[in-house]
Amino acid sequence: MSMAEKIEAERGRAVEVSISPSIPSGEGTVWADVSSLLRLACNDLRDDELINGENFNLFAAMSALEIMDPKMDSGIVSTYYSIDEAIENGAAPVPLSFDRTLDVQRIIDIMDHLLSCEATWHKGGSLAQTVFSSIYLMRPERTSSHALLHSYCRVIRATCNAVVSAVSDARTNEEEDLFTMTYGLPLKSEGDDKCLSMLHAVEETISRQLRACKAPTSKKRVLEDIEPLQNNFDLEEGFCKALLCRLRFRKHFYHVLTCMRRPQGKGLELAKKHIISCLAELDSILQSGEFLRSNNAHGTLEEGIEDKTTASGCQPIGFDSTLNSRSATPTPPRAIKLFSWKKAVDYFQKLLHDLEILCSYSLDPVFENVLRFVVDFQKFQPDMVARALVQLLLVQDGRLYGRDPMFAVICKAALLPDEAKNNDIQKSITVPQLEQLAINLLRVLCTNTSWQRRKLGKILQDWRIIYVQLELAFRKEHGDISRPSVDENLCMKICKHILIWVEEKTYWIASRFLTLGFELDLYSPSEYCMAYWYMYVILMKLAEKTHIKMMMSNETSRRKTKKKRDFVKDMGKDHQIPPAVLLFQCYIYVVEGLMLMLAALRNEHKVFLCLGPFNSEHGRFIQHFELLQKACLPDHVSYFSFRETTTHARFSTLSVYNCFKDAQRIAKELRDSFANDPDRIAELRRIEQVAEHNGIALNLICRLGTLDPSLKVSFEFTHHPYLAVAVVKRS
Amino acid sequence: METAQQAESSLNHAGSSDASESNSSNYVAHVKKLLYRPMLVGIKDGRFFIGSFYCMDKQGNIILQDAVEYRSTRRSSPSPMEHRGVGLILIPFSCRTSCHVDCAIEEQLSLLSLQEKKS
Repeated sequence: MSMAEKIEAERGRAVEVSISPSIPSGEGTVWADVSSLLRLACNDLRDDELINGENFNLFAAMSALEIMDPKMDSGIVSTYYSIDEAIENGAAPVPLSFDRTLDVQRIIDIMDHLLSCEATWHKGGSLAQTVFSSIYLMRPERTSSHALLHSYCRVIRATCNAVVSAVSDARTNEEEDLFTMTYGLPLKSEGDDKCLSMLHAVEETISRQLRACKAPTSKKRVLEDIEPLQNNFDLEEGFCKALLCRLRFRKHFYHVLTCMRRPQGKGLELAKKHIISCLAELDSILQSGEFLRSNNAHGTLEEGIEDKTTASGCQPIGFDSTLNSRSATPTPPRAIKLFSWKKAVDYFQKLLHDLEILCSYSLDPVFENVLRFVVDFQKFQPDMVARALVQLLLVQDGRLYGRDPMFAVICKAALLPDEAKNNDIQKSITVPQLEQLAINLLRVLCTNTSWQRRKLGKILQDWRIIYVQLELAFRKEHGDISRPSVDENLCMKICKHILIWVEEKTYWIASRFLTLGFELDLYSPSEYCMAYWYMYVILMKLAEKTHIKMMMSNETSRRKTKKKRDFVKDMGKDHQIPPAVLLFQCYIYVVEGLMLMLAALRNEHKVFLCLGPFNSEHGRFIQHFELLQKACLPDHVSYFSFRETTTHARFSTLSVYNCFKDAQRIAKELRDSFANDPDRIAELRRIEQVAEHNGIALNLICRLGTLDPSLKVSFEFTHHPYLAVAVVKRS
Repeated sequence: METAQQAESSLNHAGSSDASESNSSNYVAHVKKLLYRPMLVGIKDGRFFIGSFYCMDKQGNIILQDAVEYRSTRRSSPSPMEHRGVGLILIPFSCRTSCHVDCAIEEQLSLLSLQEKKS
């Protein structure tokens, strides 16, 4: 028997041993070896021939997971068959080294690597393949003899648990359902709830060790009973400091998460303090990098620290992302590129800054301001964790901030007097539906922007329907003559105000839907014209509804104060258009200008035309705006209205009627009205810049366009996220 | 062979392939009869898969339907096995180390004789 045969036979025996007890064949049947039969059959098959049954479907067969393909097979056995086997082979020793200096060094590497893992998880990696690739975390009982490692593992598990519960409670993760998958992971280990007291004790010990090593030699005697952290006196201070900032970061970060979850935003103040501490500790962590790198015996400087997941640049001990990849799901494993340590620190800084904005929020009771806050917050592109926390703050127990009943919030937003919120009308069955819609709107605004846009488009129909339902319900209610007449008047008013508010919000949602299309880069330049046309139509309606709402409330307040001199004053006020409406007017001028300029370019210069072999312009229009059309927003508007508005646009008429000039003028006028609102002032400034640049470009095209065919016009979003600026260049 | 079970065969397998293709070999015809039967495939890294035999090509790549993956928790056998459903899988010939089909003892003998004829 040759050696190869021997090995073959040995393997055969091993297979037999492991099959028979664990994988039984059917009753009365045996496992018959068919390898050679298959080989013989293969020889006889033609090249393109398959052995398959009648119901074989090649297309379905394409979806088969390919075994041993690292991109598809999550079960490939790499180094170890199981966590227990890894542990038995010394992959995760406790302590990490009997040399205490080395032990500390390795623990710091683990801490840093876990931070990289955590950031990667927040950004879409699976928990099993990131944070829980740590064997130490997977076996909580094993670390108990090592206070430092144990307390750190505990706080990590508790933090992950808090984050998972925040994200799953908020359900902002529809697209990223991988995030909350925790099957089979020891996320809640016994005693993890006391992680802070343990962490505190460890922190105390190390800060005493730090004090001891820094004390002048005269005092050493007194402090002698304190055992140093490790053996090398020269490194004691550096290691103590490196550990302390890492431990303290974890402590404060855990506090941030728990404080932010307190009901009615009551923990925000405290959370903000912890955020500031977190940021300070992150700075110290960054600073400790130099010390840790200098102690790295292997020296990784030539390889560069940029890709490393630890501050020292050393490979951490006790991690194996393949051990867990099976526990998550049988679907293909995702290739995971871990964040580097530096990038992880950056990530946490960004997250904390986002949370800081949230903690500084004043819990404004006006619905419109809440919407503005969320929209503005989204501009920072917060990640899922921050978005989940925003949503949990805004909506709690069906109330705004868990504090204000939604009907009262709606009454206030509809500019109704205070007594309206106690009116019986809220008992009408349609009102709770409206409250639910308002809550849903807030929730949707907290999701990621692409999901958000799709959702906003879909809820438009609900808002249209609720309008009709409310109108019917109110009419019925109003027909009831048994009520005293004063109440009836109030009732009428509530109905009118709420209805106009519902319309206004519907158009607000539609405008957000359209602007998100720009922010998500969904329109091609040849489609900008129709997108701006639609924005123009929607904004006109939005401005109109807002104006009516405000006039109605002015009327109310005027009737209330029946003094004559106020009456005269108010008359004057009424003729002034409120700043909120003027701001809409400003946007309207810019989008109208852009639409007409694009239309004239299409008509006269034959650029930005919707050509192409696949879709007609009408087809594209439907693709982008089907949801608006389905909701009849606004009524009687279609692709043909767009064609009608734009086919006759010419530069000769545009130069006379310059929308951009009007936009600039209004923006300047509005500065005084928004003097106390720096965000609005900044927005006005952006609009002015867009209008100014476009005005100049328009003039240039008007003057040179027909004379100079080499003139190239492009549109860029350099000054505003959705208002483009025309750039004219000579090619 | 491994476990000599004396019980009567409950497997009443009607050949799913009719012998319409007169030019196809005896071996191919036999393998066609194995379609949809439980098949146990061992692969290089020590795992096993059991699934219903769905397809095989000239290169010897096998597709199993409703497959279950078995793997031991230790390198040193014998050790307890873990298993999980993996659905439709393709096992490339290059990583296949063994292949068994669930069948009655009489059938096993006929399969053996068939293979011996050649070798």
